[in-house]
Amino acid sequence: MPVEAVTLADTTTKELPLLVLWLFKAGLIYGGLLGTAALMTLAERKVSAWIQYRIGPNRVGPWGLLQPLADGVKFIFKEEVVPDGANPLMFRLAPILSAVPAMLAIAVIPFAGEVKIGDWSFGTLSIANLDISVLYVGALTGLSVYGVILGGWSSNSKYSLLGGLRASAQMISYELTLLLAVLSVVLMNGSLDLRAIAADQASTGMWNAIVQPVAFVLFVIAMFAETNRHPFDFAECEPELVGGFHTEYSSMKFALFFLGEYCAMVVMACLATTFFLGGGALPFIAELAWYVELPVFCAKASSFLFLFLWVRWTLPRFRYDQLMTLGWQVMLPLALVNLFVTGAVVALGWHPLLMPLLAIAVLVPFALLFGRPRPRSESLTHEGAAG
Amino acid sequence: MAQLLFYLLSAAAIAFGFGVVASKSPMKSVLSLLATFVALAMIYLLSGFQFLAAAQLLVYAGAILVLFLFVIMLLNMSDLETLAEHPTVSLGHTRVAIATVSAGVLGLIAILGAGAVQASESAAMPPDGYDKIEWIAALLFSRYMVPFQASAILLLATMIGVLVLAKRRRPVQTTELGRVDA
Amino acid sequence: MVIVKRKELSFWERLYLPEVVRGLSVTMRAIFRRKITRQYPEEPLATNEVTRGQPRLAVNEDDTIRCVSCGLCEIACPAYAITIDGQETDRFIEREPERFDIDMLRCILCGFCEEACPKDAIFMSEELELADFSREALVYDIEKLKRPISALQRRSDYVYKLNDRWHSSSSTS
Repeated sequence: MPVEAVTLADTTTKELPLLVLWLFKAGLIYGGLLGTAALMTLAERKVSAWIQYRIGPNRVGPWGLLQPLADGVKFIFKEEVVPDGANPLMFRLAPILSAVPAMLAIAVIPFAGEVKIGDWSFGTLSIANLDISVLYVGALTGLSVYGVILGGWSSNSKYSLLGGLRASAQMISYELTLLLAVLSVVLMNGSLDLRAIAADQASTGMWNAIVQPVAFVLFVIAMFAETNRHPFDFAECEPELVGGFHTEYSSMKFALFFLGEYCAMVVMACLATTFFLGGGALPFIAELAWYVELPVFCAKASSFLFLFLWVRWTLPRFRYDQLMTLGWQVMLPLALVNLFVTGAVVALGWHPLLMPLLAIAVLVPFALLFGRPRPRSESLTHEGAAG
Repeated sequence: MAQLLFYLLSAAAIAFGFGVVASKSPMKSVLSLLATFVALAMIYLLSGFQFLAAAQLLVYAGAILVLFLFVIMLLNMSDLETLAEHPTVSLGHTRVAIATVSAGVLGLIAILGAGAVQASESAAMPPDGYDKIEWIAALLFSRYMVPFQASAILLLATMIGVLVLAKRRRPVQTTELGRVDA
Repeated sequence: MVIVKRKELSFWERLYLPEVVRGLSVTMRAIFRRKITRQYPEEPLATNEVTRGQPRLAVNEDDTIRCVSCGLCEIACPAYAITIDGQETDRFIEREPERFDIDMLRCILCGFCEEACPKDAIFMSEELELADFSREALVYDIEKLKRPISALQRRSDYVYKLNDRWHSSSSTS
């Protein structure tokens, strides 16, 4: 069986048939995911507007809440254009490949612990209880590159191809850092199971954001790169590449790309919550009922989602060489060092709170050694004189 | 149900595997390979090897195949015609090369498979199934330590080799705008 | 050649993250700033006598049109937006337009017609909105252009004031 059965409850509690339970949970969580993704499109425009002293969309429904619906209707009624010379099969496949992995990853996220209403037990509030859910998520993030790369290639357009190539190079580079940061969390909590990771943090009260600050920061940065969000939006990069890999896409195919992007953001926010903020846990309170855990989890994930929008209007886009330098020469070594230090702390059985101290002890010399900007002006002068 | 799924997935894996070698466009080959990997991963899942399935997707589908795609897109070999027109690569040589490499790989698989069967017969079945990550890790870092490290060194050597080939020093031209690698 | 000296970054700036946090605080403060959006159809733009909106024809209190179809505005119009056909009347001022069309799609709101008019018959009103579903509907005929002089009084006074200033300055020089 690919999916482990829901944990058996006491004999006194009643349970729904497994299939019904799964269908019910899947419907609930996917409804939530798509609803959140739709609301994110509105939130994106609203927060953008607020930061620019504007009000944002407010015409459709109260506070513009029905705007995503109007956008969706608009997308459906728009004309589907397949460019001349595009590979028709792959052109149609790409949006699906981009949206599906992003949506699949939500299946393993534990939103709350065991759900009990009266005598009825519904198991944990997650669709699938996988022992190796961390690897599952990693595999799916790896697959999400294909949508972008295929969309860029099959459009038969230079902008699209460049956007697709850039995006996939970026996603591969930062996936390493992302997974290495997650690996230190896995070492810390001793499990590849998202539920166990969240539960471990909740029981010890030491969230990974505190004991693993380096991994936390690395994860958050890599999270932005993995979802192609500013300041890592090389895939789209309007001033340089028109729209990047989705330049040639229109109508619902374009909407699918965007749905995939927003779903990926939601998934990443949930993952960051689970890995680093202890899931639905509150500080200093050991055991929480599911109806407390769920809102707490959602609040934490929402704060990450807000961070996505907030950073978008704060940081300018990197240059491509800066992106690669940051990814390979700064973040990857940092992640490796962090993993090593974490492994040492865990293996030697030291107190986990030593980690942040060690992290700072490692980080400061690292920054002093490698954080120096290259003397660009001098080298330019030299080259100019030589030529 | 599981039986049916297994046969379906196997058929898909074989069909797509055939597609890898049969299709003219390298792009389609790579995508067929992706489908093969996914089908294989699902067969692993079906047999209860969650870790293997995840590793298959993570390593092969997620990382290695993307690099394939890169190479193919950058070389801009949209179909076999361009490959045939390429002056340095003749189709006949390519076929000979493919045949040789395939034969070699098949032989290697046969030898390794025989070894693996022996190994699996001698290895004791762990009490809670093969899929425990602890068990896999323990095996990798004790019994199969040498092959594991050897493959790591092999990969490293390959990587360095590729870098050496790709980053061959070329004369550096300087223009008004700065340095341009010819 | 210009040599750009890059600023030597301090330690905190080299760490990059503190500067990111500083930037985030700037954008966060921006979120709570007063919004400057004007909700347009509900809050229209404030107009005054200087507003040079669409040209309109002034109609006297006794319901007679001021225009005598002299054609000066037609000549002054740089966009050829005005078309006038005149006719005779029994009134003391014995001419009036039979047809007075302004193609609002051609009109560039320059105000030359207002300046050229010897009879203070055409004024740039404070009406700004211009939208319709066909091009034909935007060729305004005389009935669409007529406005009682009371609606144009503010602009009329302003134009008188302008003209006075011009006359006085030309006489002194």
